[in-house]
Amino acid sequence: MGGLVSSLNQVTLFCFLASYGVTLGLEGVRLIRQSTVNRVFMLGFAVAGLVAHTAYLLVRSQHANLPPLLSSVHDWLLVLAWLAMMFYVVLMSLDRDVIVGPFLLPLVLVLITASAFVKTTPQDLLDAEREWKMLHASLLVLGMAGVASAFVLSLMYLVQHRRLKTAQTMKNGLTLPNLQKLARWNWWAVVLAVPLLTLGMATGVGLILSSENVAPESWLSDPVIIGNSFGWLVMMVFFVWLLTTRRPTGKQVAWLTLGAGGFLLATILSLSLLSGSVLDTQHGGEPVESSFLVVGG
Amino acid sequence: MHLQVVYCNHHTADLSVRERLAFATETQIQRAYEALRNRFPTSELVVVSTCNRVEVYTAQEETGPTPSREDIAQFFSEFHNVPLDVFTDDLLRHAGPEAVRHLFQVCCSLDSMVLGEPQIVNQVKEAYRRAQENDACGPLTRALFEGAIRVSKRVRSETGVERGRVSIASVAVGDFGKSIFDRFDDKLVLIVGAGEMAEETLRYLKDEGVREVVVINRHPERAAKLAETWGGIACGMDQLHTWMAKADVIVSTTGADRPIMDVATFRKIREQSDGRPVFILDLGAPRDFEPGIGGLDENVFLYDIDHLEATCERNRNARAKEIEKAERIVQDETEKFMHSIYHRATGPIIQRLRDDWHAIRQQEVDLLLGKLPHLTEADQQAIEKTVERIINKLLHPPLSVLKDEAKAGPPDSLLNALKRLFHLSE
Repeated sequence: MGGLVSSLNQVTLFCFLASYGVTLGLEGVRLIRQSTVNRVFMLGFAVAGLVAHTAYLLVRSQHANLPPLLSSVHDWLLVLAWLAMMFYVVLMSLDRDVIVGPFLLPLVLVLITASAFVKTTPQDLLDAEREWKMLHASLLVLGMAGVASAFVLSLMYLVQHRRLKTAQTMKNGLTLPNLQKLARWNWWAVVLAVPLLTLGMATGVGLILSSENVAPESWLSDPVIIGNSFGWLVMMVFFVWLLTTRRPTGKQVAWLTLGAGGFLLATILSLSLLSGSVLDTQHGGEPVESSFLVVGG
Repeated sequence: MHLQVVYCNHHTADLSVRERLAFATETQIQRAYEALRNRFPTSELVVVSTCNRVEVYTAQEETGPTPSREDIAQFFSEFHNVPLDVFTDDLLRHAGPEAVRHLFQVCCSLDSMVLGEPQIVNQVKEAYRRAQENDACGPLTRALFEGAIRVSKRVRSETGVERGRVSIASVAVGDFGKSIFDRFDDKLVLIVGAGEMAEETLRYLKDEGVREVVVINRHPERAAKLAETWGGIACGMDQLHTWMAKADVIVSTTGADRPIMDVATFRKIREQSDGRPVFILDLGAPRDFEPGIGGLDENVFLYDIDHLEATCERNRNARAKEIEKAERIVQDETEKFMHSIYHRATGPIIQRLRDDWHAIRQQEVDLLLGKLPHLTEADQQAIEKTVERIINKLLHPPLSVLKDEAKAGPPDSLLNALKRLFHLSE
């Protein structure tokens, strides 16, 4: 038992980042030549990475005595990547021919790499704030997962659309979901993500107003909060457009999702990265103290 | 043990011959099995009849007279009332491993007109089911056909011989149509013209669940005929634009010498259609739709015969590369199957020999122990075990030689020698 705990403590970001990197490489090989051996290795590396990823989050959560979502920006970026990898592994186990890795895995790698450069120190939480901050973080992460899904689905839509317009066939029996399905999933991903983000923002505002330590005015000038709010606003405008426009075409929706979702993702990632060093912010706890590839715990 | 197939297929016989020898209906199949059983009462039988092949598999576990190629030809001739000279030269016969390999190749679609087409395995399964229903199967044919179905699964999972569609209609619907639409049961299909290829495409679309079909043709009677066959409605050319605006899928094969649809007209049609996706298959040569129509808006997906043929050709080439791999599996499985069959043939003889020798051992041991009543139970058991070991050691060399022989082929001469030497009855 002691050996297992000690092994878990030694899991680093690099362990699962490398596993996922190899999985992406094997996805590339699969596009050229599909084989059972390749598929087994691909799934094997993905599952191995996911196990290491889970262990890393568990160890950090145990050390901080906080759920991963509350612990730090570092942890919730990893939770987001973990959700994406879970989805990937389940989908690949169910459908051997579908291509999702080349779209999803780069995003996972970006999230994990970014997590190495953001705040890793756990927050000090008062008991009264704990549930609210948990709700705030959960809603935002789920909303972000929705936006990330919509982003990936839109990419898939555009690739499938281009293939169909140019009458190209998929090689090696590989498939992408059909356009109608991709458009429908994309619509639902946006329609579910934006309310979650909105609720997440609302709970954040509630936390600011109820904060006794810091004056609300100082939060309003916080660059991270302003930047994230702007990203949310862009998503909100897109959301309203999506619900009010009569028969938008799938390609229009895909491009706008890429724009709005990509902007939100990029804003959040860059603000998370900058808040560790350049930006002066009180959001998300103490400033960064981490170096690249932090050892778990 | 005897296993053979007498057959004609698309390699050996014209369609005109194959269709005269085919067993098309359930009743015909029943009558055929009845007639075959009467002619060859000691044989196991399976008839495989599809549009590309008519094959009769016969098998017998015991040695003895077996139906020859001529016997089967005679059966075909009398059953179908076709003179022998019309088809005798087209009939081929394979026996033993060749017959097994042939069925495995057929079931794996390596002998099909369209390499890798998936229907054949279902047709073989269906033929086997009918043979069972008609009490024509036996242990050998059961093992053979179940083996063939298993081999076909192995080839499907280990090679790419079935991957990629190779007919125009299947590429159109499978590779493109199904990548645009999630479902077809709520789609309206418009057929313009009534060519063979349109009908084949319609068949694939129907398989995908299409319910609403409209057929438009310059000749109303042709439109009516096709519409009736596929449960659609027939309309005149004057309604072409109206239905084009409503259709989700348009299949066009008019055979006109110039396009029936230009960009300007189709733009007007699109204005009435709410901009929803439309999947156009222009199967006409020359083309029925101006190529510019494909670029009108992002939801117009236009494919002509060249697009589809290029895909078919690529898929055909990809499949051809997989043949070698599939043939190796077939060869490997044929050898395994033949080994198991040969072993099965030696099994009863080995069992009989063991039973006889052990019966003698028991008799003699009982006699000996009767004469030595003073022996303890432990002594008696020791004697019994020693004699049993002697018998087993004596049996080992001939039986292992028999097993080795069975690996190479049916050890008929060795089996006969054993039967004669040790008086083993049939």
